Amino acid sequence: MEKVLERKMSRRMNMRLLVNSVAKYIFLLATLFGLVVLSVLIYRVFSEGFGWLNFDFITGKLSTQPERAGIMGAILGTFWLMLVVAPVTMFLGVGTAIYLELYAKKGRLQGFIQTNISNLAGVPSIVYGILGLTVFARAMNFGNIVLAGGLTMSLLILPIVIVASQEAIRAVPNPLSEASYGMGATKWQTIKEIILPVALPGILTGAILSLSRAIGETAPLVVIGIPALLIPFPGGILDKFTVLPMQIYYWTLDSSLTAEYANLAAATIIVLLVALLLLNTTAIIIRNKFQQKH
Amino acid sequence: MKLKKYLLFLAIAALAAVIAACGAEPKANNDEQSKGNNEESKSNNEESKDNSNSEKLEGSVVIDGSGTVYPLMARIAEEYMINEQENVSVEVSRAGTSAGFKKFLVKDGTDFNDASRQIKDEEAAEAKDLGIEVKELKVALDGLTFVINKENDWAKEMTPEQLISIFKADSGVKKWSDLDPSWPDEEIKPMGPNENHGTYEFFYETILEKQDLVDTVNLQQDYSTLVNLVAEDVNGIAFFGFGYYVNNKDKLEAVHVDFGSGAVEPSLDTISEDGDYAQFTRPVFTYLNVQHATEKPQVLDYAIYLMHNINNFAGETGFAPIPDEEVKEGVEYLDGLKN
Repeated sequence: MEKVLERKMSRRMNMRLLVNSVAKYIFLLATLFGLVVLSVLIYRVFSEGFGWLNFDFITGKLSTQPERAGIMGAILGTFWLMLVVAPVTMFLGVGTAIYLELYAKKGRLQGFIQTNISNLAGVPSIVYGILGLTVFARAMNFGNIVLAGGLTMSLLILPIVIVASQEAIRAVPNPLSEASYGMGATKWQTIKEIILPVALPGILTGAILSLSRAIGETAPLVVIGIPALLIPFPGGILDKFTVLPMQIYYWTLDSSLTAEYANLAAATIIVLLVALLLLNTTAIIIRNKFQQKH
Repeated sequence: MKLKKYLLFLAIAALAAVIAACGAEPKANNDEQSKGNNEESKSNNEESKDNSNSEKLEGSVVIDGSGTVYPLMARIAEEYMINEQENVSVEVSRAGTSAGFKKFLVKDGTDFNDASRQIKDEEAAEAKDLGIEVKELKVALDGLTFVINKENDWAKEMTPEQLISIFKADSGVKKWSDLDPSWPDEEIKPMGPNENHGTYEFFYETILEKQDLVDTVNLQQDYSTLVNLVAEDVNGIAFFGFGYYVNNKDKLEAVHVDFGSGAVEPSLDTISEDGDYAQFTRPVFTYLNVQHATEKPQVLDYAIYLMHNINNFAGETGFAPIPDEEVKEGVEYLDGLKN
């Protein structure tokens, strides 16, 4: 009797072990798939673009002739765009998060706003482009200048910044603010002196990550209408501009006419990847540095 | 304390933005000047007119329209900025012929619209309603080229009738053997650019004479997709502008067309005005807003430069030059706008 049971048990045990190891390999494959695709992509981009990457390419003006084309205009365009996007999203995003987390009464309305912000985070970027075209480019008559593009991009990443800031504010330990109230501080004093400094690393991490999304976004700018050939460098937020991903898009589009454009696009992708990597590294450093303090 | 530091940082960033905005103002005025929409800009215009003797111009010239004509126009715009007027910004976009006309036919619209077909009656009527005087400038000639796979060794020469029957609905031609019994018994895969392209409209209206296309035709938005599709399919055949063929000669073969006096290979010589390929050749244009040209000296100056140099750059971008008389006619018209 006992022997029969033991045999039964060992058979089930084997089966379970088999399932376990099969599952392990399936998940390993799933992980590898992403890695393989990524490495193929990086290999292709580097093999096509690295030879074209030099000082003249980075500092040069845009041109229809591949051998003298440069992307300084697009780099400056990206810079000015960020100079609009960063302050606008930080102010509006953190402001909204503070209101929703610390001032708004928990109730129907707050829930409604919260749901809509989460929904907005999932709206495709081209829809924001159409919004930007209608409101900033046409109704406010900005046209296709940095300010119009920057405000559109701000709307695009605002939901992400709000949600990240809310998370960061919520993660501030309650006893800290209670102690502050206990000392007789007002709400604003508590927010300014206690909650925001503690939440700041989380807020900054979210903001920088969403900025790197804005840097790589193309669709909203296609809708606003960025010229394919724009040679003068943008000198400020009221100038017309182009950005790195737009240049990649246009060069890829014309690579069947001029084969070297594919190399220029690849070289631009490398520059864009390096910029994104720098931003994301900054985000991680900020997070690690401040996490140790609290 | 930490928070203060960050607020300071943000404040500095904001300040930098404001300073940049101020620094940019003179340029912004130029943009407004190009729109020509307020009092201040008008006085600016007068100033620049006085300056036009010294030939130093500034401001912007805004061009949109056909993606087919874009390489030619971008090439000339760049030459103009390098060699003629480095303070003028010529901006070239490529929304497509029809989409470009929508930006051209509005108040304070674009200065030029490139077009791979002629302006339509309803577009001309709209211009009239808006009081926009439009001048058509023929800039180059483009040969509609039919391309096949490199390994296709049977259909290298065809008549216009055969080509039309491949693309026309209800022609009864589905396989190569339907065209010639000695050709393979395999299905033809017709392809072309989609309805957004002036090239499609030219093919449909002029070559097919508005008869429906066969419903198996594969219409694509991007020319690079068409190039790859035909390069990979031995039964593929596609049509597009000569420039896309000439830059992909290593991947594609052009069909030599027999218009009645022997097969003709499309080339810069044969697609010219009276060339042997002329039956499949179409002119491409740019349309000028005449008011903008008279109000803004940089627009007129660029238009004249464009007509003077158009034939120098046509060949390298895959277009055939227009006859010299037509260049002269264009230049004379534009010179007449000077005052």
